[in-house]
Amino acid sequence: MTLHTLNASPASAAFADCLRLLTAGDALLLMGDGVYAALAGCSHRAELDTSGAMLYVLRDDAAAAGVLDRVDGVTVVDIDGFVTLSEQYARQLAWF
Amino acid sequence: MNATDGKRTLVLIRHSPYGSSLARASVDVALATAAFEQPVNLLFVGDGVLQLLSGQDCEALGVKNLGRLLSSLPLYDIDHVYVDAEAAARYQLDLDAAPVAALPLDPGAMAELVSTHDHLLGF
Amino acid sequence: MLPPSAFDREGFLCRLDDWSPAVAEQIAAGEQIVLTEAHWEVIHLLRQYYSEFDSSPAMRALVKYCGFKLGVDKGRSIYLLSLFPGSPARLGSKIAGLPKPANCL
Repeated sequence: MTLHTLNASPASAAFADCLRLLTAGDALLLMGDGVYAALAGCSHRAELDTSGAMLYVLRDDAAAAGVLDRVDGVTVVDIDGFVTLSEQYARQLAWF
Repeated sequence: MNATDGKRTLVLIRHSPYGSSLARASVDVALATAAFEQPVNLLFVGDGVLQLLSGQDCEALGVKNLGRLLSSLPLYDIDHVYVDAEAAARYQLDLDAAPVAALPLDPGAMAELVSTHDHLLGF
Repeated sequence: MLPPSAFDREGFLCRLDDWSPAVAEQIAAGEQIVLTEAHWEVIHLLRQYYSEFDSSPAMRALVKYCGFKLGVDKGRSIYLLSLFPGSPARLGSKIAGLPKPANCL
């Protein structure tokens, strides 16, 4: 299974392409402009939920964006959590 | 890296050929990986499929012709080239005229392809 | 004879259009290589490769291309090494007036 990292706006081609390759059993870590895709109740978030992938968001980036208290259902991780995820998944793919 | 490592690399090519330097970089990574005798396969995803348009003529731009570079992939023994079927259809791509033979995959097959490689590089 | 300014720091020709057989002789002499018919065959093939693929080949691609175009006996590393010792793709490209191969071993 694959750990995807997304560092691009939900309106980007990177988001759309990443979404089509996400499968249940994968994990997606949102960072940078990617954190906006974690916003609960928004359509991009609904699409991510449908993929069945585990969703994570990087704490500092989510806090900076002002979305940290609006990401219900997404696991908030710090850099150490990112490292742990990298160890748990056999392969990693960066979307930016 | 060494020739007996045997780890399979998949390079995901995501950008159109002349909009940024990322397109050229992704192809160069694939060629370099092959030049070091590492098994490498290619997947053109999203706007990356635009690299497969025939008839690219960038002489006036003064940059290298990526389409022609792609036609050298078989010489690097990069024999497995895949393309995002949805994106190819969206741009009405004629895959028979593409600079390199590419097998169209639906999203499920692309995800399956990703999961069968050891290393993933996406540009 | 082209002046030193026609070449980059590694001795590759700066302008593709400056190349001629005489320039190839000049570059080869600097590399202590006397060009024979066998060398010329590969030099012309390299230039053909460049015009076809808009790139200089790495060794792997050059070997395969030689095999296709000149026959299996010449599509071998050892044959190319005998003509252009050390790094045939790099040295051959240099003498053929092409840019340095990007993925050179």
